[in-house]
Amino acid sequence: MTIDELERLLAQQPVAVLHRLARGRVHRHFRAGKRRLIELLLQHSSQNLAGLESDLQTLIAERQVQSTPLPSGARSAPHTPVPAQKRLPPRGAEPDNSEAAVSLTAWLEGLGVPPPQPFVPDPWQSEALAALDDTDVVVSVPTGSGKTYVAVEAARRAMEDNRTVIYTSPLKALSNTKFTEFSKIFGSDKVGILTGDRQENGQAPLLIMTTEILRNLLYDAASGEIDVRLDTLGLVILDESQYIADPERGVVWEETIIFCPSQAKLLLLSASIGNPQDIADWLTSIRPTASRLVRHSKRTVPLRPGYLHPNGKLVPLFKTAAIPSGHPNHLHPEAKRLFHEYEEETMPSGRSRR
Amino acid sequence: MPPSIHPVDLITALRQKHLTPAIVFLTSRRACDEAMESFDVADIVLPPARQEVIAAALDRVIANYPSVAEHPLIPTVRRIGVAAHHAGHLPSWKIAIEELMRQGCLDAVFATTTLAAGVDFPARTVVITQSSIRKARDFTDLTIGEVQQIAGRAGRRGKDQVGFAVITPSPYIDLGVLTKGLTGHPESIDSQFTITYPMVLNLLKAHPHEQIHAILAKSFAQFQLNQRAELLERKLDALHVQMEPFGPRVCTDWITQWQTFDQARRQRPHRQQVKQQESPELTARFHFMTPGRVVGLTRGRGIVLRQYRSKGQRNPMISVLRPDGAVTECPAATVAEVFDRVFECDESSAFPWCSAASFDELHYQLTELPTRLPTLPILIPKVSEPLPDAIVQSLGDFPCPTCTSRPACQKDVAVASRLRQEQHRHIKSIQALRASLWHRFQERVEVLQKFGYLTPSAHLTEDGEWARLIRIDHSLLITELIRAEAFAGADPALLTGVMASIAHDDDRPGAFPRISTGLSSLLGQVRKLAESLSPYEDPPLLRADIAAVAERWIADPTLTWIGLCRLTTMAEGDIYRLLARTLEFLSQIHTLHATHPGLADSASKAIALIRRGVLEELP
Repeated sequence: MTIDELERLLAQQPVAVLHRLARGRVHRHFRAGKRRLIELLLQHSSQNLAGLESDLQTLIAERQVQSTPLPSGARSAPHTPVPAQKRLPPRGAEPDNSEAAVSLTAWLEGLGVPPPQPFVPDPWQSEALAALDDTDVVVSVPTGSGKTYVAVEAARRAMEDNRTVIYTSPLKALSNTKFTEFSKIFGSDKVGILTGDRQENGQAPLLIMTTEILRNLLYDAASGEIDVRLDTLGLVILDESQYIADPERGVVWEETIIFCPSQAKLLLLSASIGNPQDIADWLTSIRPTASRLVRHSKRTVPLRPGYLHPNGKLVPLFKTAAIPSGHPNHLHPEAKRLFHEYEEETMPSGRSRR
Repeated sequence: MPPSIHPVDLITALRQKHLTPAIVFLTSRRACDEAMESFDVADIVLPPARQEVIAAALDRVIANYPSVAEHPLIPTVRRIGVAAHHAGHLPSWKIAIEELMRQGCLDAVFATTTLAAGVDFPARTVVITQSSIRKARDFTDLTIGEVQQIAGRAGRRGKDQVGFAVITPSPYIDLGVLTKGLTGHPESIDSQFTITYPMVLNLLKAHPHEQIHAILAKSFAQFQLNQRAELLERKLDALHVQMEPFGPRVCTDWITQWQTFDQARRQRPHRQQVKQQESPELTARFHFMTPGRVVGLTRGRGIVLRQYRSKGQRNPMISVLRPDGAVTECPAATVAEVFDRVFECDESSAFPWCSAASFDELHYQLTELPTRLPTLPILIPKVSEPLPDAIVQSLGDFPCPTCTSRPACQKDVAVASRLRQEQHRHIKSIQALRASLWHRFQERVEVLQKFGYLTPSAHLTEDGEWARLIRIDHSLLITELIRAEAFAGADPALLTGVMASIAHDDDRPGAFPRISTGLSSLLGQVRKLAESLSPYEDPPLLRADIAAVAERWIADPTLTWIGLCRLTTMAEGDIYRLLARTLEFLSQIHTLHATHPGLADSASKAIALIRRGVLEELP
């Protein structure tokens, strides 16, 4: 939905709906008139358009449900329940007005081991691998989505082509873990490791190293020391490439990418970051081919946030079982109450000291 | 209520809800260790079957890494199935714990948030107890990206249908930071490009000086700077459009013209009304009508008691003591003569403007005055006749006052000059954004030229050729030390000690084992050199205790790992990391074998000596 469409849709809604939509988004929304309210909501939509849209759709749907039994009273009916209860202190708040908060049982539902099923790569994984045939790829996905699968498959394909693969990670410990992991997958003769204090199997087709070591290799190559491994280099995988923003070491990632030989493909794996498009655009501007960005924000295994009180009571953190994206204030009333209680008792504020 | 949940209760609660295995992120290593201690007396032991599974898994790991066997946490791991995992542990221990976690043997691992990025194993549940993280020396709030990275460890693909991120409060937790972190969109990342000395040397080795500009332009830093520059350029374009109505008028650069005119107009001294009304004669005479002066008025004489200016018109006035003892106020203009006779007058600020004694004295003197008195010769300056149209005269250089577009200029100048100022500012910042990397590079080049690593034509000198191989932090200090032959004839132990103190950048306090005199004097020299280099490179901490620990490990080949750990209060993991990092620095020195054979030899001996005991066993 474009901003214009959204504006038109907002203008069609009665002001009560707008107020409900503005709750938690616009400060002191009850002060604003309809036109100003729309303006403020549109301003807010620049931060989270999707969240605003989906909420608006739910509100519209809800309204339609409400208005069907009493079509004539539709004008006055939705006004009444909205503002009154919100003013109550959180302590007395029963499950909050419109949407009932999720119960602990519902929150815990689904806990357990899924039935074993054959591994099918996610669409984004296939997409990244397919794109890697032609160009550099930037992957930005949440932690635990299966970036390693992409790395392994990409490495396998490049090695089948008789090309050298270099895999770098920011931490020595991670390099060691990956060395063990990849040795199990590809066989120990195919995998080598080069870190500041460890060098094993340095001529293997799949080399694991810290990014600093790769940078040094590239510098040596640039100043005329020929390294056979770089001639046959087909793929460079930079894991955890959000480290490019590390204050001390980020520069190493930039140097590595700038000096990466153009015949080698680059695969940048990173956790969710705000501006992966910038990274992709940057690569496009300095590499021979236009790079491809693969991003998604949906977790493979859904995440349920909870709140555990020091007395051992467990409650959902938010009103919904899943994370309500863009709504940090949709706290579960019980969690809110318990945390409030906790703060009252532990904070060295005037009242508790007495 | 306790400030935070007790670890034993936490594990009980998690087990009860089937939320194990879990990773519990705590504030500090000490918190992790204390949590472990609290399990010593806990009775939440695992059923024997599971204990056996853990024991078997542990034995398999110990076969690979013997140092794990003596770890003090082993009994807790076996009995309860919980473990600590933080930077204070040896890598072998961390590998063992990660392996046990992967096999699903453990119920919980207590880790520090600082190392969240290094925790590379998932669990069903992640427990978050804090909203800030120790960075450098103080705590900062977790960013959205960090919260998501931490929470993202929850939920194992293929083993869990859902993952859980449980927040449990501890003192100083800010729930807002965490809820925002969970629901928000991760922050954008920014380039942290810095230009280091080895980078300059290596770039100049491979490319001529003229090409470097193009290479720097390929950096992400320049890409982002360009983005900002483009944004400014768009603003500049908009300004250009806004400036259109203010194009050339009668004069091309009418804004500057008007501004100069305006300035000149403002600076021109204001006409002073007083001066205009007063005759120059009066002004000159008024100076002499000071208290005590005898003046001749139209009728009789008097002695001036005070001089002042009248309130409204600012006319010069005097208070005069008359022969009959009265005090009268009269305009200075009514004074007919100013005599050359002054009496002492003790002034005061209230009527009668002098003290009673001096009033009487003056009164007496006034009656005693001779009839003829000499008048004061007063030079009266010649007044040049003011020109009739002073403004036009003083602004004669400007056409503005008579210009036809004067009203338009006067009206628009405020807006136009503001816009033009903005334009200039943007142009300047765009230039700075485009060229800043290059300037920083040039700065580094100048420093390297000064120290003789580069020739004035920016080619590598003999020293530069080998110095470019030192690609670590504090490279300038290390190369300068080598050039000063600080390590000439130094044995491997001394070299290691100094390298360790340069490599170590952690300010966690440590104990102070006895330091050898050789090392301490060498370290003194290094410190002096580092200080003199501080304008060009941040000096390292150069801690003596660190140097001593590393030296001891090399100097005494019979020293066991346990023995070394006993010498200092540093945690095992920290000592390990220190030695591993020193190893990296030494191997860089080892690459200088072509130019500095003695030093490289010493370094390789040190490398061989470091690798023993725990350091040999590990990947």
